[in-house]
Amino acid sequence: MYGIIDCDNCYVSCERVFRPDLEGKPVVVLSNNDGCVVARSNEAKQLGIKAGTPYFQLGKMFPDAKIAVFSSNYELYGELTGRIVSIIKEEAPAYFRYSIDECFVYFNDVEDIDLKAWGEGLHGKIRRWVGMPVSIGIAPNKTLAKVASHFAKKYPGYNHCCVIDSEEKRVKALKLYPVEDVWGIGRRYAARLSSCGIRTAYDFSALHGDFIRSTFGNVVIYRTWAELNGEDCIPNEEYARKKSICTSRSFNGMVSDMDTLSTHVANYASRCAEKLRAQGSVASVVGVFVNTNPFREDLEQYWNFAEERLLTPSSSTVTIVKAAKSALGRIFRKGYQYKKAGVVVMGITPGNHVQQDMFGDAPMRYEKLKSIDKVMDRMNRMYGTETLVLGAQQYAGKDCYGKAEVFADAMRHDFRSPNPTTRWCDVLKLK
Amino acid sequence: MAVEYKYMSNIRIIKGAFDSQLELEHAAVVAGFPSPADDYRHDTLDFNRDYIRHPEASFYGDVEGDSMKDAGILDGDRVIIDRAIEPHDGSIVVAYWNGEFTMKYLDLTHKGDGYIELRPANKDYPVFKIEEGCHFEVWGVVVHLIRTFEKV
Repeated sequence: MYGIIDCDNCYVSCERVFRPDLEGKPVVVLSNNDGCVVARSNEAKQLGIKAGTPYFQLGKMFPDAKIAVFSSNYELYGELTGRIVSIIKEEAPAYFRYSIDECFVYFNDVEDIDLKAWGEGLHGKIRRWVGMPVSIGIAPNKTLAKVASHFAKKYPGYNHCCVIDSEEKRVKALKLYPVEDVWGIGRRYAARLSSCGIRTAYDFSALHGDFIRSTFGNVVIYRTWAELNGEDCIPNEEYARKKSICTSRSFNGMVSDMDTLSTHVANYASRCAEKLRAQGSVASVVGVFVNTNPFREDLEQYWNFAEERLLTPSSSTVTIVKAAKSALGRIFRKGYQYKKAGVVVMGITPGNHVQQDMFGDAPMRYEKLKSIDKVMDRMNRMYGTETLVLGAQQYAGKDCYGKAEVFADAMRHDFRSPNPTTRWCDVLKLK
Repeated sequence: MAVEYKYMSNIRIIKGAFDSQLELEHAAVVAGFPSPADDYRHDTLDFNRDYIRHPEASFYGDVEGDSMKDAGILDGDRVIIDRAIEPHDGSIVVAYWNGEFTMKYLDLTHKGDGYIELRPANKDYPVFKIEEGCHFEVWGVVVHLIRTFEKV
């Protein structure tokens, strides 16, 4: 069985941890440079605020509403969601984080586990320990788990956890679930399905497999159909692609030694860094997963995931490769035949063109950069993070330690909250 | 932890998902006398490990003012807050009240009468009375105090 743990209105919930007074009130979080609304509390959604509304229009559109507005603070979001992942890791046998606010867990053997009680307990623990609400969906595969989490989020009666573990529950849930909301369907296909009179996920799942194949000729749609019917066939990283950048490969043959695996992972990490730079963005979390070949039932099976949080969101190859290797070091176990590995970068935010130029260079200069990075890293280790930064990353502003502002700070953030979990000068002030 | 044993002649191979690295020091081939210190070895004391029992639930705060001075908590002290700990009568708690975080004794004496109190440890400060039905939540429980005497 799979579970999905999804933070409710993630960024808003992070802000509310240190502003409990905003519970029950409309709250929005703006994109980088305070451009437009990227996250909304339920109350803000009820007011009719749409995702993507430009900030400057909010006041005109909702003149009478009292809306709490925050600049995005990925440093805070990364830290708090990292705590949640770390709790999940303690509570579940295997997990795979695939975006900043969503994480899968996998149960190999569920005979002795009351999954409903497990999910409610996990929600309670996360709520109490970190102060954030999550919704949990549990089902035989990831697509159905996502459907279940939707019900857990929408209806308080589920107490934050919905389990689809019988045919009856599956049918009931899918009949209430619009087909366009199913993972992997998308609006384009939904329009086509709707013209055939298919509106709910159940209508879709009840179609004949051959019909799906001949009509869409698309393996993704077919697999989604199969998952809605209870099969487990979509690999983890497929979901990751939506909200993060994922580079993964199945190996030609199998790999059991750390050196080879590590080289593969370094290459995937480097590819992720390239992709980030190509789209001009930076990531704040680097995750690595490995797994054995699930089809070789004669061999021992293992899959695991680990991640590193970057203090300053980055697209630097050196940084991302290093983080990926360190994460791999924590999950690598000797004695398994690995079939696949991958790197996922998440918490992606628009970067800065200066840094892009700095790294978008010929391979010859890369070596030079690497040695610069080494010196920098040593200095920064000795004297604190960001003591030494590349010239292009330097900004005039000073932070609370009197140091130059770091890369992540060099954006417009008029309404940014403090960072009580990552900066000593921002810890709670207790009267 | 699921551990599986397989035997290959005299060598025992242990397989399983280990959370931490295996300590290989003691697994070495025994030749000669073992070090007498082996029986006495212990990991170095580690504040993070031993004082922060719930890292995911731990937060920090700086004390402003002297409302808790009779409890030995002074202006400028730093406290460690653990949200995993259940508050009880007499706990020093952090709560969000009147638009700010405050640190006070939790007094549950009058819970049966429909209210609880947040008590300062300084007679110059008022007691906050919180009536039942008020939206109130203990944010966290103060578990440790750090005071720095010498800047290092």
